[in-house]
Amino acid sequence: MATEAMVKLEGIHKRFGPLDVLKGVDIEIAKGEVVCVLGPSGSGKSTLLRCVNLLEPPEEGEIFVAGNDICKGPNSGSGEQGWKLDFVRQRVGIVFQQFNLFPHKTALQNVTLAQETVLGRSSAEARAKATELLERVGLGDRLGQYPETLSGGQQQRVAIARALAMDPEVMLFDEVTSALDPELVKEVLDVMRELAEEGMTMIVVTHEIGFAKEVADRVVFMDGGVIVEEGPPAQVLESPREERTKQFLGLVLER
Amino acid sequence: MSEFFQQYFDFTVMGDYFGEVLDGFFKNLLVFVVAAVLALIWGLILALIRQLPGKKFMPLRGLTIAYIDVFRAVPILIVILLISGSLPFLDFLPKSIRIPQWFGQPDPYWYGVMALTLVYGAYMAEVYRAGIEAVPGGQVEAARSLGMTHGQAMRHIVVPQAVTKIPAPMLNELISLLKDTTLVGVIALGESVLIGREIQSETFNSSAYILAGVMFLVITLPMARLVDYLIKRNRGRVTRGSHMEVA
Repeated sequence: MATEAMVKLEGIHKRFGPLDVLKGVDIEIAKGEVVCVLGPSGSGKSTLLRCVNLLEPPEEGEIFVAGNDICKGPNSGSGEQGWKLDFVRQRVGIVFQQFNLFPHKTALQNVTLAQETVLGRSSAEARAKATELLERVGLGDRLGQYPETLSGGQQQRVAIARALAMDPEVMLFDEVTSALDPELVKEVLDVMRELAEEGMTMIVVTHEIGFAKEVADRVVFMDGGVIVEEGPPAQVLESPREERTKQFLGLVLER
Repeated sequence: MSEFFQQYFDFTVMGDYFGEVLDGFFKNLLVFVVAAVLALIWGLILALIRQLPGKKFMPLRGLTIAYIDVFRAVPILIVILLISGSLPFLDFLPKSIRIPQWFGQPDPYWYGVMALTLVYGAYMAEVYRAGIEAVPGGQVEAARSLGMTHGQAMRHIVVPQAVTKIPAPMLNELISLLKDTTLVGVIALGESVLIGREIQSETFNSSAYILAGVMFLVITLPMARLVDYLIKRNRGRVTRGSHMEVA
């Protein structure tokens, strides 16, 4: 695993003003590995995810993506300019809790836009790729529809297709089913499950214990800005060692 | 009573001078159209500079904010008089800029257009800013996470959404701009109010002013109704949106 780390975080610290959100996080994710991150709200799990693609650049620590230290840009130091943003964002895709689809673009345009503007693909090429991806997530018949006419689950699937269109090597999922009605959760999780089976490297922040149990190669439990416990899903979810993990799982499974 | 009525609504005076006042009003419209287009562009440029990210652009952002503050705070009349009074004497500039007479329009016309563009550009920048800030932050994050640059995110994602949120306040500014074109009469552009003044001093009758005022009403009233309609429609849209989230 250590030889082929796709993503590697070393001693990540992140503060928002006086608030210490991440207090030194180390983790390695191998190519093709699916890691589910669990934890109570405020534990720093979403922030950790957003550090990986530098939406929240960490104050301390190193992040390696595909062996590149992305925290050491050409003019390393202050602000966004110091980071290897292009490198990261073309290799790391992210899907958000609130979908964040572009409301003034159709489903198809949501998936083609960045292909054309960022990757410089021709519109025919981008269209073909987008159509293929939207078909893959079961939305081949919705290409021309605007986000507001789609259900939450459909919107989230468009968002997954949009991220995949950039040919990422890593996909980040930030509580992608938390804003969905219960009956729409499954269709999104199914798409993610397929993606995992195809060998995508995935970091999934989620409250879906069932999904973690079934799909994850490894489960990470975070609390208070640190990793409390990690291991295979069967071990962490069924016989956790740490008291805090037990407590949390007790609360979640009670529902 | 009829004397009172006649002072303001003498239809003979209105009839006799209708053509002259209308000619003047066309000049108002001509100032308005050109200044409006320029102010809409200039305002967008200012608003976009103001959104530039990072430390590198701090001086430019500061300069823009200062510009907007100053031109929103200063009476337009001062700006008009300052430009028309100073520009002709700035000898280091070419004559075509000191005394502009482009497209067959006289120099007071262009001084007026310049002044109104400078001032209304600042107003428009504030309107755009409100629109840009009304676009949820998640939109920029999504665009950036797909690898778009700040400029691409602005151009493809933020600005197209921002402009759909601001037609009502923008129209309000345009109504004000149309009315403020009468200020250019001060530097001897023969617009409707200046014409009205000449007629008033000739006939000792104020009906020409009323006539000019009615011409403005004919244009601005529909604009005001349109503002109301847009606000109402927007409210409807917001309510629909929230219903959808609940459903």
